[in-house]
Amino acid sequence: MALRLTVQVQLILQALLRDPAKEMYGLELSEETGLQPGTAYPILLRLEREGWMASRWEDIDPRAEKRPARRYYRLTAGGAAQASAALAGARRPKGTALRRLAEGGGTA
Amino acid sequence: MTPDLDQLLPDTDPRKERRKQRARAGAFITAVAMAALVIFQPGWTWVPSAGVIAISVISVIAGRGGLPGGRAIGRGKGSGHGKGSGLSALGLDGGDGPAGAAAHRWHLLVMASRLMPRSAGGRWLAEAESLLSEITAARRDAAIRSYLLSAPRLVVMTWAHEVLRRARLGPRRPG
Repeated sequence: MALRLTVQVQLILQALLRDPAKEMYGLELSEETGLQPGTAYPILLRLEREGWMASRWEDIDPRAEKRPARRYYRLTAGGAAQASAALAGARRPKGTALRRLAEGGGTA
Repeated sequence: MTPDLDQLLPDTDPRKERRKQRARAGAFITAVAMAALVIFQPGWTWVPSAGVIAISVISVIAGRGGLPGGRAIGRGKGSGHGKGSGLSALGLDGGDGPAGAAAHRWHLLVMASRLMPRSAGGRWLAEAESLLSEITAARRDAAIRSYLLSAPRLVVMTWAHEVLRRARLGPRRPG
């Protein structure tokens, strides 16, 4: 199934492509893109199922760290290439769309 | 570690009492409806009966959502979270404002996760818990709302994926 490049998907791919080798967790991605975490999660799941991304649970002792483990996401090698190509071919999101996302947190 | 909010709340939480009452009323209506159907419509009993049973199962699941002793779900593999409802991890037991409303929304998240396939629901909830524990109380409400808004789409998405996965695996052989 082809992945639909919505504005939200583009924002997430752009954030991940800034440093494709870097792993990012949900909150980091949410802050980077301005999307609400509940909006970002289905996109991350879809990208993972398409093979563009891989994810893993952080290996920590939650009691010692005093917080639950994070789920880290990163682009796969193939995913980075596909994301770059897809973004190059995609229409750039308009300023108004980005402003609306920033105001509504991407829940629309 | 601080105790869970569930443990701090008195047993006479009105929301829990309402759920219990609803569950009892649901069970009573089901019993009466089924008896009436069997007596008056023997030929068509199975159609409405199936509907009534489905509704009562849903009511029972919904009624159990906030009751103690309900199925512990949402402990995603590898999430390494401690025992509890997730509320302590969210900092709701730390004098964090109207904990009742936030706790109610958390229970809705738990219920939504139960509508997904087990592993997908567990992961979604564990990830939500992890993220919500790291954001400020002011942003938490909007974040929980966003999780709730995306839940229906996720339920469809995860079940579609699960059905495809099972179809690829083929039928299970006995033994």
